[in-house]
Formats: sequence, C-alpha cells, structure tokens
Amino acid sequence: MPRAKLLPYVVAVVLWAALPGLVSRHVVDLLIFAGLYTIAGLGVSYLLGHCGIVCLAQSMFYGIGAYCVAYFSAQHALPSVVAFAAGALLSAAIAFAVGWPILRLSGHFLALATLALGVIAQVLFLEWDWLTGGTLGIGGLPKLQLFGWELNTPQRFYYLVWPVAVLVMWLKRNLTHSRNGLAMRAMRDAPAAAAVAGVEIHLVKVRMFVLSAILGSLAGSLFAHYVGFISVDSFGIDRSISFLLLAVLGGVQTTWGPALGALFVTLAPELLSRFGEIHAVLFAVTLVIAVIFLPQGLGGAIEQRLRRDSVR
Amino acid sequence: MSRALLSLRDIHHSFRGLHVLKGVALEVPTGAFVGLIGPNGAGKTTLFNIASGFLDPDVGGVFLDGTDLMKCSVQERSRRGLVRTFQTPQVFSAMSVLENLMIGRHKQTRSGIVGNLFRSPRSRREYQTAKQAAMAVLERFNLSPVAEHKAGNLPAGQQRMLELARAYVGEPRLLLLDEPSSGLNNDEIAQLRRVLNELNGEGVTILLVSHDMNLIEAAANIHVLCFGEIIAVGSMATLREDARVREAYLGL
Amino acid sequence: MTISLFIQSIFAGVSNGFVYGLIGLGLAVIFRGTRIINAMQGEFCVVAGMAAVVMLDHWRVPLAVAMLGATLLGGALGLLLELVPVRALQRRGGGDDSYLLLTLGVAFAISALILYFVGRDSLALPGVGGEATLIVADAAIRVHAIWLVIISTVVMFALKWFYSRTHIGLSMMAASIDADGAATTGINVPFMRSATFCLGGLIGGLAGVLVTPLTTVHYAMGLLLTLKGFAAAILGGLNNPFGAVVGGLTLGLLEALAIAFVSSGYKDVIAMSILIVIMILLPNGMLGRRTRKGG
Repeated sequence: MPRAKLLPYVVAVVLWAALPGLVSRHVVDLLIFAGLYTIAGLGVSYLLGHCGIVCLAQSMFYGIGAYCVAYFSAQHALPSVVAFAAGALLSAAIAFAVGWPILRLSGHFLALATLALGVIAQVLFLEWDWLTGGTLGIGGLPKLQLFGWELNTPQRFYYLVWPVAVLVMWLKRNLTHSRNGLAMRAMRDAPAAAAVAGVEIHLVKVRMFVLSAILGSLAGSLFAHYVGFISVDSFGIDRSISFLLLAVLGGVQTTWGPALGALFVTLAPELLSRFGEIHAVLFAVTLVIAVIFLPQGLGGAIEQRLRRDSVR
Repeated sequence: MSRALLSLRDIHHSFRGLHVLKGVALEVPTGAFVGLIGPNGAGKTTLFNIASGFLDPDVGGVFLDGTDLMKCSVQERSRRGLVRTFQTPQVFSAMSVLENLMIGRHKQTRSGIVGNLFRSPRSRREYQTAKQAAMAVLERFNLSPVAEHKAGNLPAGQQRMLELARAYVGEPRLLLLDEPSSGLNNDEIAQLRRVLNELNGEGVTILLVSHDMNLIEAAANIHVLCFGEIIAVGSMATLREDARVREAYLGL
Repeated sequence: MTISLFIQSIFAGVSNGFVYGLIGLGLAVIFRGTRIINAMQGEFCVVAGMAAVVMLDHWRVPLAVAMLGATLLGGALGLLLELVPVRALQRRGGGDDSYLLLTLGVAFAISALILYFVGRDSLALPGVGGEATLIVADAAIRVHAIWLVIISTVVMFALKWFYSRTHIGLSMMAASIDADGAATTGINVPFMRSATFCLGGLIGGLAGVLVTPLTTVHYAMGLLLTLKGFAAAILGGLNNPFGAVVGGLTLGLLEALAIAFVSSGYKDVIAMSILIVIMILLPNGMLGRRTRKGG
C-alpha cells in the first residue's frame, strides 16, 4: 500500500489509542458501550444488509450472553471462557431452532416474528428470577481476566472491546467479498434467480441468523463482565430496536457503518443532554431525519462522498 | 437420435380448478435445440416452472438424463445442469454485471460461510477463479463495456444478455429460456439468435419459449402447446402447413 | 378458580381483544391503503388517551366531548404523519424497511415528547357509564367494557360499508391497488394516501380513548399496543376486513386463558408464541385462503 494511503489509518489508530487519556472517564464509558453495540449491531447489520432480514430479536442473544456470564462465571466460578462459549453455543442453538421455521417468512412477517421473539425473551428474563434476579438484577460479576491481566478499569476494557469490534468488521468485509457474500446479495435482489444459480437461500439465512446471534451473545458477555451488574432493563425490546437503528443509521451496506451508528446512538444523547430534558425528543427527531435524508446511512453517505472525490 | 436429456411425462396441473396443463409430454434430446410456442395462457410458463422445480405438478414426472427430478429442489436441479431464465429478466439489480456473472459460478464452488469470514485459502481461490470465469464470458455476450455497471441500470436488452451469460457461466447442460427476446430490438434479436446457435453448437441443449418467429426458427424442432395440450410437433415449415396449428396459433 | 372469576377473566379477554382488534384494524387500514406498516399505531392511542384526560381534567369538558375530541386528534395526527415525514421519505424513494424505521422513529419522538410534557405518571380516564358494573353470574363486568365491545363492532361494520359502498372508500382501495391506474381515472392518489392515514389515526385514537378507562395510559405503552395490534392484524390476515378484530379476540382470549391457567407473567409469552406459530402455519392469517406456491 502506498504511504499516502496508509497515513489516515495510522492517524486513526494513534488517535484511537490516545483517546482514553484525553477524555473523561464517563466518555470512555460511552465509547466502550459504543464498541459493544458495534459488535451486536454488526450482527443485525449483516442480516439486514446482506440478507434483507429485519431482526428485532438481538436483545435476546445479548441477554443470553450476559446471563451466561452471571451463571457460569459468577455463580459457579468457572473460567470466563466457559461462559463465553456457553453463551455462544446456547445462542447459536436457539437461533438455529427458531430460525429454521421463521426464516421461511418474508418481509414484515419475519420482522414481526423476531419482534415477538424479543418480547418472549424479555418476559422470560423477568420471570425466571431464580436465574436472572428479575428486576433486582444480579451484581458482583467478576472482571474479565485476559492472560493474567485484569480488565478492571474502563481504559483497559476499552483496549479490548474495540479490537474485537474491528475484528468483527474485518470478518464482515471478508464475507462481502466472497462466494457466500455475493450469494446473499443476489438472493436479496432476486430470490428466484438466486435459487436457479444454486444458492440455498433458506440455509444461508439460517446460518447468518446463527452468526448474528453469536455476535449478540459475545457482546452481551463482554457487557456483563464490564458493568459487573445486569438486570432485565438492559435486555428489553428497546435495546433490540437501538441495535437495528444503529445498523441502519450507520448504513448496512458498509463495513464500518455500524461503528459509526453505535457511536451516534451512544454519544448523541450525551451531546444533546445539555439541551436539558428535551434531549430524548431531539434524539428521536434526529433519527427520523436520518432515515429520510440518509437512505444509505452515515457510512453510505460518507463512502459515496469519498468515491465522488476520488473520481474527480 | 440420442436419448432424451429432458423428459416431461404426462404433466397435469390446475390452479383453483382451472386445468392449465392436461397431460403434456415433451422430450428434449441431448444436444438438441427445441422450441415451444403457443398462444398466451397456453401454459408455457407453468410448464417451465414445473420443469425447473418452482412448482410441483398435480400429476406427472420430470426426468433429466433418465433421473427422476421430482424430489429435487430448484437448486439441486440447477446443480445437475438444468438452468432457466425468466420471462421478466431477473438480474441482481444492486450488483455489478461482473458480480452477477460470478453468482453463475456459485454451484461450481464449495467454500462455506466460516471459511469466507476468515478468508480461508479456498475462499480466496474460489473468488478469484469465479472472477476469471466471469471475465472470460463478458466479451462473448457483449458485456465488457458495462462490466462494472450496476445490473439494474442496464437497458432491457443487456439485462437479457446478462441473464443468459449468467446461466452460461455455470456450465449448464440444459437451458430453459422463457421469452428471451421480449423487449429486444431486431439487431439484438439477431445477436441473441447467433449466440444461442453458438451455445447449441458447443453442446448445450436448449428449450426455447418465444413468440418471436425470427428467433424460434433457430430451433430444429418446435412443439406447439395450446390450452394445456401439445397439438403438434415439427419444424417451422411443417407447422405452417398444419391446419390445427394455423387455426390455434398462427391465425392464418 | 370460581365460575365468576372465570367469566370475569374471559370478559376481560374479550374487551382487551377488541382493543387489540381496533389497533390492528387501524394498522390494516394503513397497510392496505399504502403498504406501510405503521409502527406508531399505538402512539395514536397514547396521545388520544392522554388528550382525553387533559381535556376532561383541565378544560372541564364533558366526557363525551373529550373522547370525541381526542379521537379526532388521533385522525389529525395520522394526517400530519402522512403529510410530513411519510411524504418526505416517499419523495426520496424509501423502501419498505425504511418506512418501518421511520414510523418507529416517530413513535420514539412522540413517546419522548409525552415523557417531557406529561412525565412518567399513568393517567386515568373515567369510562362511559363511570365505574358502574353489571353483575353476570356473580362476575362484575364494567359497563364501559360493554360499550367498548359495542362501539368496536359498529366501527368494524362501518368500515366494511365504507370500503365497499362509498365513493371515497372505493377510491382509497383503487389508489392502493394500482396507483398509476387510479391516477389515470382521475383519482387523487396523494389525497387518498392522506385520507388513509387520517382514517388509521382516527381508529387509533378511538382505541386509545376506549382502552384508557380500563388500563390507564402512560408514555411508554405505545410500542406494546402496536405490537399487540400488529399481532391481531396478522393473525386475522391483513387483507381481511374483519381479520384484525377476529385476530384481536383470539389474542385477547388466549391471554385471558393464560392468565387464568398459567400465570399472568406468561401471558405475553403465550400470546407471542402463538403468533409465531400461526404465522408459520397459516401465512395468510386464520381467515385467509392458502395461495399457490410459485408463479
């Protein structure tokens, strides 16, 4: 790669590494949440951008990942890798079992089915208080240990969560430029022709749903380790909706769009909060405006701009 | 005569009590170029849907090279070499022409989603070979100048060519073409006819549905489907002499 | 469980069912007229319910006037939704998913506005006939709930008449089935879209003023109402005029049975599971015909 092209990346990495030292602890906190949301949101973005599936069930897998940490790491004091693996496996199994029948539905019906799934999960998290602590929640979750290094400060966690997010973005980029990535875009554009080309549409959708669920669970497990205390409030339908919104805001066709969307949904309310109580309204109105005026999302709009500049 | 590559046996089908196909039997010999004509509503597209696996017939069998296809999905039939096009061109509109052609190689490749995610060597190799295969056919179908264009922005004629090219990249044994000339001008139809003859010359078996007399003449043997029944078979010249065909279809 | 409690819970299921049905009816009206799934249908209810309370408590208008005014406000809100954000998105050529997200965003905005101006309190509205109850086999049934059933039924038949007998109703259908064709016959398609949203808003507003006396109203309940209404409409089939109400009743009764025999905590789990199963097994709703596969 030519040096001039490399430069922006170097600057970005240096800036990213220096950031926790430059901003307040509270902002680092928000940046970590943005990283977690990026990971979970990338799953939703995969589904919508590649397969045309509106997924409103991501909070379920996010919750499963988190409660697995509570159950295995906190209650049974098992190593955290067990919790991560259990969360991923359980999420994958549920996504497979539920995805198989519902992914035959199309459009709005599928969106509704996933929403219903999210509601079911929300209620079960609340009702199974022997496991989840119900509304009171579960506290005292252990900090994450990585090669003997305890991630006990926001700064340390920041240096874990963003590399993971970037890794997931890299995976998405790889998928886009691959056999199955092409097949997914094809089946979204013209399913009958994709079937004639030999694309096993249903199977691909189920696999992508499983993949997305694993990402949701991974983000949830990281979240539980980071905050140390979880309650049902974190795994409601509103969380699923914000995962979907960040994916759309960032632009589902771009690799790094979800990160942009995640930064927006975590930082924008903070920036708007100096306008006082009205900030929630401003945030919602910003969303509406973004949906109308940025059909490709923030990431899509920026990429288009860059492409136009490079052509000139 | 070599044995039949595609054989449709006694196909019956009805929609809500309307008997669309009434015991249609049709054989396409290996390497042949067969035409299928008939007035609107004769059941041609329904027959294509049944042959390609989009629709199950009420009664009847579909055989490819002697193998029963009734239990095979659309995808499985495609992997066995039976590839169709659609009456309204079905291109992947948000993708480039080149990418559209690469999809044609999907069934020749094997890499899984996990391999794709982690850029396994096979994943990379397959992507490159698919790209090369796609590039190789661009020229033949006059698509080189628009290789990087979005397929959805192409004029109808080029979308038809793209659909045909995409089917061809996948190395089909049998092409089912549903009205490939609609929306094309005379030059494009002449080009299409030339390409179809070339493909047939290379050993691709073709079953062509068309209203266009210039195009359908390319077929050596033509079946006439009328109200769910095959009423005549023969070359264009013999069909022109057939009283039933003249009455039912040619309107002469 | 005693017989009277059972009757009471069944009747609660029926009245909830009619509320879901009304919300679903509003969603179906908008969907059939514009192919848009309106994710803020529940907000019509919340806004109308709140408005009725405000009119009654602060402006001291009679209950009937407050209810009527609030219903009309729902219609006005529907009109506004179509005229501003939906048209803006239409001009820019949004896909199906973007309308869903748009209305979801508007729903957020409205719920945030209510939180800002009204706060987190649940507001109560007296019902038609006040707190009066009717005793049937020892079960106490509120007079308001009976009115709710009657009014919903009347609205359902009125809508059927509207769509099959009136000029504007037929024009609205024509505009949605084939916009270009309708335009060539002189139908003002944009006006019909506005009218469709207005009608959807009116039905939503009516559902709001009818449900508030039973459940009270608070800023965050819109989304769940939308979801239940959506479930009702899908259960019955989005294209069937009576579908939403039949679906709503089914859903309401299932919830009531779930509360009676399992536990109140699981009613949403049971309702949503059944919704998923019905969608898989009966893709056109319970009243829909099976369509043929392929084309």
